[in-house]
Amino acid sequence: MPLNDTELIILAQKGDQSAFEELVYRYDRSVLSIALKYSVNEDDAKDLYQEVFIRVYKGLKNFRFQSEFSTWLFRVTTNVCLTYKNRSKHHLRVSINNEFDDDENEFTKKEEIAYEGSSPEEISAAADLGEIVNAAVESLSPKQRMTFILKHYEGYKIREIAEMMNCKEGTVKKYLFDAIKNLRKKLTPVYA
Amino acid sequence: MKHNEYKQLLQLSLFGELKSDQQSTLKEHLMSCEECRAELEDQKNLLELISGKKKSEVDEKVLSAARYQLRGALRSEKNNTNIFGSFLENLSQLFTTPLKFALTSAVILLVGILIGSQFISKSSNDQFANQNNGDNRFASFNEDISISNLRFIDSDASDGEVEFTFDASRPVRLKGKVSDPQIQGVLTYAMLNEQNPGSRLNSINAMDIKQATNYDKDVENALITVVMTDKNPGVRREALKLMSKFSYDENIKNALLYVIENDTVSGLRIEALNSIIEASNNGHKLDNEELNLFRNKFQQDENPYIKLRSRTILQEYN
Repeated sequence: MPLNDTELIILAQKGDQSAFEELVYRYDRSVLSIALKYSVNEDDAKDLYQEVFIRVYKGLKNFRFQSEFSTWLFRVTTNVCLTYKNRSKHHLRVSINNEFDDDENEFTKKEEIAYEGSSPEEISAAADLGEIVNAAVESLSPKQRMTFILKHYEGYKIREIAEMMNCKEGTVKKYLFDAIKNLRKKLTPVYA
Repeated sequence: MKHNEYKQLLQLSLFGELKSDQQSTLKEHLMSCEECRAELEDQKNLLELISGKKKSEVDEKVLSAARYQLRGALRSEKNNTNIFGSFLENLSQLFTTPLKFALTSAVILLVGILIGSQFISKSSNDQFANQNNGDNRFASFNEDISISNLRFIDSDASDGEVEFTFDASRPVRLKGKVSDPQIQGVLTYAMLNEQNPGSRLNSINAMDIKQATNYDKDVENALITVVMTDKNPGVRREALKLMSKFSYDENIKNALLYVIENDTVSGLRIEALNSIIEASNNGHKLDNEELNLFRNKFQQDENPYIKLRSRTILQEYN
């Protein structure tokens, strides 16, 4: 019979590495899913994922079971995401026709298009719809973006998001309403 | 209910967050309000447009890579604790029992002097306080000791007392042979933890000497971690070079395969590929995992040299 979270945590707190890994594997798909949607690229998402579990690994010895492990884990996840500065800093701008310069290990931006303020014709000519939507979501403030991702993409309840972000439900609603307002402003030329 | 409040209900209904009575209220309002019906339609369209990402599952390959990197980082985390712990232990073992007594006495004396200088000498206290006023992050209150990371537990001085924590660090000078486990311990710690890539690189290079040296197992583990996770390609390259001095084992094989499979810098993939080929020339028989990777690289790698080398090795094995 598989061990429950509490049993795994107690073992992990005693230094059992495999118990910690088992705990990681129970939840890491959800953590990576949030990180992938929050970050700009896969490398950033993997960094976020790693940072979350390293913090959990370090903090587990002080975990006192005052909340569910998953609640604590997702609170760490949202904190890590909200304080993370992405490597490429592509907010608001999306690079198209990127060419990877192998030896320099960085992207060579041949052309950059700022979507904000562009006409629908320019937008559709410049890049596909997915990139435009991603750019719009990325342009939200960190808290609006996190709330929107947790609600819309991950399907969490407002009550759960409030627990994860350590704030009141009303605050979550506010972030959500602002996020929608900003997304409408940016995407109206595309869908209206 | 005001019109704006209905608009909020409308958004919440699209997120499935309305109670049944709120849902009925909204439904009733929508029947009589054209503006809200249009608003509802508009928001539905918006959310449909944004839902592109919604159905995407986490890619198994990305998850595996993330787990692999995490294992490396956790191993490094564990090593750090072990290395630092054993370093302190080694230091303490340098002192024999009579020396321990002498040291204990000296420490007590030093603590006494320190307490005296902090609480009796008003002028030095004032100086320290003045420096802290300027910058709490870093202040020097002694010739050797540096203070950083000052964090207040209680900053309210209304009762005349404050409480805080800080990190006190003192520079240590160490000279010794690279074969000395203590030297290796410090350099290993630095290659994993130094923020500055130049310092990480120098730590690796310092261990890369011509004379035959016995390296601690922790050094191998740290190099594997660096090769797989360090963000700086130059540091990864130096770690790969030093790793080639270690006897080819399962851990090193896995690290090299990881680099060939995942590193974005072709020069590093080539370096790793050459290490495996060299191991093969020295008698290591390539297994299925290695051969499959070569097949894959021959078919898919974007770098022509990697394709060519992979093909050559596959031909030799057929």
